[in-house]
Amino acid sequence: MVEKRFIQQTASGIVVLLVCSCSLLAQDEKELKPVTRTYAITNVNVVQAPGKKLDMATVVVRDGLIIAVGKGISIPLDAVVIKADSMYLYAGFIDGLSRAGVTKPKEEANREKIKDPGNPPPDRAGITPQNDVRNSLNASDKSIEDLRNVGFTVAQIVPYGNLLPGQGSIVLMGGKSADQMVLVSNSALYSELSGANGVYPNTTMAVIAKWRELYRQASQAKSYQSLYASNRAGLERPGNDRVLEAFYPVIDQRIPVLFKSEKMLDAHRILMLRNDLGFSLMLADLKEGWPVANKIKASGIKVFLSLDLPEEVKKDDKKSDNKSNKKADSIKAKEVAKPKTAADLEKDALEKRKAEAIANYTSQASVFNKAGVSFGFSSLSAKPKDIPANLRRMIAAGLSEDAALAALTTTPAQLLGLSDRMGTVENGKMANLIISDKSYFNEKAKVRYVFVDGVMYKQEVKEEKKSDPNAKVDIEGSWSTVTQTPQGSNDGKVIFKKDGSGYKGTISGGRMPAPADLISVTLEGNKLSYTYSLSFGGNTIKVEVEATVEGDSFKGNATVGPRGSFSIEGTKNPKN
Amino acid sequence: MKGLQTIMGLLTAIVCIVVLRVEAQSPKGKYGNVALTNATIETVTKGIIQNGTVLIVDGKIAALGANVSIPSGTEIIDCKGQFIYPGMIDAGTNLGLNEISSVARTTDFNEIGEVIPQMKALTAVNPNASAIPVTRISGVTTALSIPTGGMLPGTAALINLHGYTPDQMYAGFEGIVLTFPNTGRRGFFDRRTDEEIKKASDKALASLNDVWEKATQYNKLDSASKGRTGYYPELQALIPVIRGEQTLLVEVNASKDIQAALKWLKEKKVKKSILTGVAEGWRVADEIAKSGIPVITGGVLELPTRDYDRYDKAYANPGLIKKAGVKVAIKSESGNNNYRNLPYHAGFAVAYGMSKEDALKAITIIPAELLGVADKLGSIEVGKSATLFICNGDPFETKTQVSHVFIEGWSMPMVSRQTELYNEFLKREPGVKK
Amino acid sequence: MKKLFVLLFSSFILLGATAQVEKGNLLIKNGTVITITKGNLEQTDVLIKDGKITQIGKNIATPAGVKVIDASGQFVMPGIIDAHSHIALDGINEGSNPITPEVSESDVINPFQIGIYRALGGGITTVHAMHGSANAIGGQCETIKLRYGTFDPEVLKMDGAPRTIKFALGENPTRSHGEGSGIVPRTRMGVEFVIRQAFSEAKEYTEKWNQYNKAKLVKGFRGAPPTYSYRHEVLSDILNDKIIVHCHSYRADEIYMMLKVCKDFGIKRIVFQHVNEGFKVAPELAAQGAMASVFSDWWAYKFEVYYSTAYNAAILSKNGVVTSINSDDGEMMRHLYHEAGKTQKYGGLNDEEALALITINPAKQLGIDGRVGSLEVGKEADIAIFKNHPLSIYGVPMFTIVDGVVRFDREKDPDDMRLVVDPKQAIETATFRDKLSNQDHCMEGAEFILDSELFNANKK
Repeated sequence: MVEKRFIQQTASGIVVLLVCSCSLLAQDEKELKPVTRTYAITNVNVVQAPGKKLDMATVVVRDGLIIAVGKGISIPLDAVVIKADSMYLYAGFIDGLSRAGVTKPKEEANREKIKDPGNPPPDRAGITPQNDVRNSLNASDKSIEDLRNVGFTVAQIVPYGNLLPGQGSIVLMGGKSADQMVLVSNSALYSELSGANGVYPNTTMAVIAKWRELYRQASQAKSYQSLYASNRAGLERPGNDRVLEAFYPVIDQRIPVLFKSEKMLDAHRILMLRNDLGFSLMLADLKEGWPVANKIKASGIKVFLSLDLPEEVKKDDKKSDNKSNKKADSIKAKEVAKPKTAADLEKDALEKRKAEAIANYTSQASVFNKAGVSFGFSSLSAKPKDIPANLRRMIAAGLSEDAALAALTTTPAQLLGLSDRMGTVENGKMANLIISDKSYFNEKAKVRYVFVDGVMYKQEVKEEKKSDPNAKVDIEGSWSTVTQTPQGSNDGKVIFKKDGSGYKGTISGGRMPAPADLISVTLEGNKLSYTYSLSFGGNTIKVEVEATVEGDSFKGNATVGPRGSFSIEGTKNPKN
Repeated sequence: MKGLQTIMGLLTAIVCIVVLRVEAQSPKGKYGNVALTNATIETVTKGIIQNGTVLIVDGKIAALGANVSIPSGTEIIDCKGQFIYPGMIDAGTNLGLNEISSVARTTDFNEIGEVIPQMKALTAVNPNASAIPVTRISGVTTALSIPTGGMLPGTAALINLHGYTPDQMYAGFEGIVLTFPNTGRRGFFDRRTDEEIKKASDKALASLNDVWEKATQYNKLDSASKGRTGYYPELQALIPVIRGEQTLLVEVNASKDIQAALKWLKEKKVKKSILTGVAEGWRVADEIAKSGIPVITGGVLELPTRDYDRYDKAYANPGLIKKAGVKVAIKSESGNNNYRNLPYHAGFAVAYGMSKEDALKAITIIPAELLGVADKLGSIEVGKSATLFICNGDPFETKTQVSHVFIEGWSMPMVSRQTELYNEFLKREPGVKK
Repeated sequence: MKKLFVLLFSSFILLGATAQVEKGNLLIKNGTVITITKGNLEQTDVLIKDGKITQIGKNIATPAGVKVIDASGQFVMPGIIDAHSHIALDGINEGSNPITPEVSESDVINPFQIGIYRALGGGITTVHAMHGSANAIGGQCETIKLRYGTFDPEVLKMDGAPRTIKFALGENPTRSHGEGSGIVPRTRMGVEFVIRQAFSEAKEYTEKWNQYNKAKLVKGFRGAPPTYSYRHEVLSDILNDKIIVHCHSYRADEIYMMLKVCKDFGIKRIVFQHVNEGFKVAPELAAQGAMASVFSDWWAYKFEVYYSTAYNAAILSKNGVVTSINSDDGEMMRHLYHEAGKTQKYGGLNDEEALALITINPAKQLGIDGRVGSLEVGKEADIAIFKNHPLSIYGVPMFTIVDGVVRFDREKDPDDMRLVVDPKQAIETATFRDKLSNQDHCMEGAEFILDSELFNANKK
């Protein structure tokens, strides 16, 4: 016992050291190598695969691979031991479609005007299937860390663009260089049903027409090239065309076409295209797919559902219900006394339909699961930090935890042809792992460690307190705010300036006709509040914002006179 | 069916005769004393007179009834089987200001500036606009010609659709147009976010309040100095409205905006005002009724304003507003030179809930009352202007043919470019081979 | 609300199979049946089985389990057909190129648009969902049936209806390309040229393929095929009479030009759309068998419709041109029966002639008159039931039936008939049409070109 404890203490000491040194050395460009590439995670609840759990077991990782999983495993001497008592260990999540790490091309300000919009050069038409996403992959992009922090260890990434942005790759969510991150290059030909700006093909129908033409031209060019290759004598030299050549692996069924397909109509259209041309298809980032679940099942295509969900409608009544039932009852009594107007009834009905619509999106995964479609998930349009909560919403809407886990691990591994390497916690698989302090789908769970290709990433757990009086927060500077109102989101800008021991400030944007001074600003610990007045339809309404600051962002509520309370988020703008 | 064909044949013959005369000489209006006999007369205000006579003397209705003695020398038009109605009034057009809406140089309804109430529609009304004869031969005899564009785009004028100068056409009403700040979308091309729309409308309201405050101040100074304030045409044009002497025509459509407009009119104590457009009036009909402010609504042949609204809301709108107790006039769809369809807008209101009687009033006596010209127009009564038409049936029905139109006693030639083209091309000569 | 859910539910099930169209059984009792082709039948029943009219007669016994609509005192007419509409489409103009026959509206059908339901509320059952008029040769169109309630765009398509394509002459293409982008055509001369050029190139293309395919028959042939062109494939289909041309046009001169182009290239089937000055060349249209689909009374919104007349439909009809009245507009299409009624005021058409303009004639123009457009045994059960005569201003559609399925029921339908709700959309958003830019909707989606700097420069 004593010995064991010693090792554990040492190990955690090393871990702390490692983390510290990493963060310290990160400032230096040179990073020291890790002391060891062997880790032992002990006393952990191992979820080897959906529905297959080992309680209080040990997982040993060496040189990027899982080398042992089970109980009573001896811990190698060179292993860093992670004491993960009562924690949960899962196979790293796999994302079917993402742009994590992909640098967005800069808008060229003064691009030459196209003389003949009907015949633009392919790149202006959004037709660059020869582009390899590896060329725009940046290993140090923060989006990689963001996605990894919620548990993703592998993602299929694609370039930015419209109709045919280029070729995707399956990459690790960690690594020093693009090349190091890549697991599979040219994993899919990526496409969207979105047109070029102001030139052909501009509309969805032209995008589809162009797709058909390119595919048929590519098939034709490919067969002529093989005819030429078989005997060149007497044949005109075939032309070079990088655009058409990019289709060859698709035509050979060596890679699928990966299509973004958020809406059900996108899915219908893409399926129609596939039925015309016969390529193998992967649909990704599907949001409104529940009515096409059976069609997708029948077609046998691969599908990744979006991890993005529409925001839930916040109900102010609920709060008061919780606070005081008696109060709520008396309010209800009043409501009964005052009959609802036609406008109230109309609004109720509309809100109900909107809530139903949101529920449809939330239960999409469950519908697919019940229909027997195997699906993965994609993060393309989701904010990484919303993903755990969105998964919980899907589970609350009827998706089982096992099914959710399968869609994050085993199924995408299978869909992407990676099952031999990942998706489960088994000997010989890549050391892509997640360790969370509670079951991942628990509301309070925090991801503590992520292993990518055997490299450990530890996450500090931030103490979440409503107000931290000891927090040292500096709010001085310019902040962009987004307030969610029933009319949609509302952007604003707040500037705070030191004023003696306190702060003063100005606000602009949003519904402000002109910048105005804040009436008051107070900051206690990390609890920020400020007020200002808003001219609104001839009235002046006082707006009170209360928020909790965390680093360069704050979250809270804005109360707009009698109009209700809306959620507000602020982010600090970088200093110029 | 045969009967109709006979009538059509006769009509064609009549039109042909007119056209033959055209070749010699362009058709002109004819003035004189006329007796319209044996007609069913829809007076609008005083019931229906069967087998009656309307006697037109010096441009006015001199006598009316079943037993009218006709002075000798009076031209008699036998209206057996025919109906006489007062001329229809379209209180929402840009007639005379708009020749071809997409050719900017042929349009005069939209001057530069947000606050230009001093711009007078009457100045720019083209008496020879091709839409004028097209409109009047369908029985629409009088139209409110409205400038549009900015917040206070100008002064609208009521015109009779006959005359060679603006003054000859002027029908006795001018009103200041206010486009109330709106939160609606303008159409499929309006891609502004909800926020942007709201912002724009808040800004517009702030600037309207500013204009009103200045106009109020200006009015005070003007009264105190007995009109010796400096030249300030924008505010001068608003004085009669501030003083409650002139009507403010408030164009407003979305329900929220209607509520805001009612509140604003109350706050600013505007004495004479009419809400125009009022597409979502049905949503807030009770509030409009409570305000006592009348409404000129239309076009009726419109889509619902929201995708979740019942499909027929635009058709039902006039009836629903009327039912709440609002005084309702109906106008046609402005801007498309199809003011001849005014009776069909009224007809659709009837098909979807308004009473026939109310709908007829909504295009005759009510607009006349709202625009302060009920002493001359809007009904068939002794002493009123002889502005009326004769037709062979219910004027709301498309089968019905209008045979005569009188405007202030002038008998209109029943010809427009559209009828001339019909006569030229029905049997084109030469045909395929020359 | 209940009905909507039933609709949602039933379409949900249908999605399992591909484009399974729902067909109904129905007995419409005791109405005045306006057959269009065979006169009016008083107090007559119409029996529908499996989406088709199986019997028209008096006192038909109600088969077991068949729903009955009592149409006593009401008028039963064929579902109205709009030969020119832009509803149910995501995208109307591929306005980037003057020649775009390869694009097709069939690829972008949107079954959720509320406009489909609103059209049902006007007795419409079939619609020609068209590409816009920004291009001299625009995209292919789709004939759809208003089976509102389906979630599958394929279900809206009228399976087996002939292919059609949009052409456009005059101001719209010259404005989009000549003024907008500074490329031919900027004039009516240019419009003729680009059309003739496209057809001539397509002929060459076909010829090359014919030669290649012929050469391939020779044993041991080795050679390069001509490069595949989707655009020329579709143009060849037009030249081979596989596609009906629907040509947006206004002025007599351009209509006449197009008639000559058709003659020169052997195009037999052409319907002129809008064709405001069609009345001036009615004898020529009739002589060539060309048809016309017109507005009842729209005019003066642009120069090329300044010399219009509301008597157009009457003149064309009386000169023997197969004529229809269309809407080109989501509002007007809700009362095409009223628009047809205007031909009684302007030109004195009788009831039968007037109603043919919105039933059998547009069916002929779309090549579907064997299936719809009149009430006859064997035809598809697309029916509108009116309170009051449809040509009366007081006519109100009460039921609209497509393939024997009631898709519109004035009494029973709830107010909110949206099939899908945008979970992000704010609840209160009202839209008002801009009355002053009363354009034909044919230019929707081509604004980006009209807004271009060049266009504004030219305007100045």
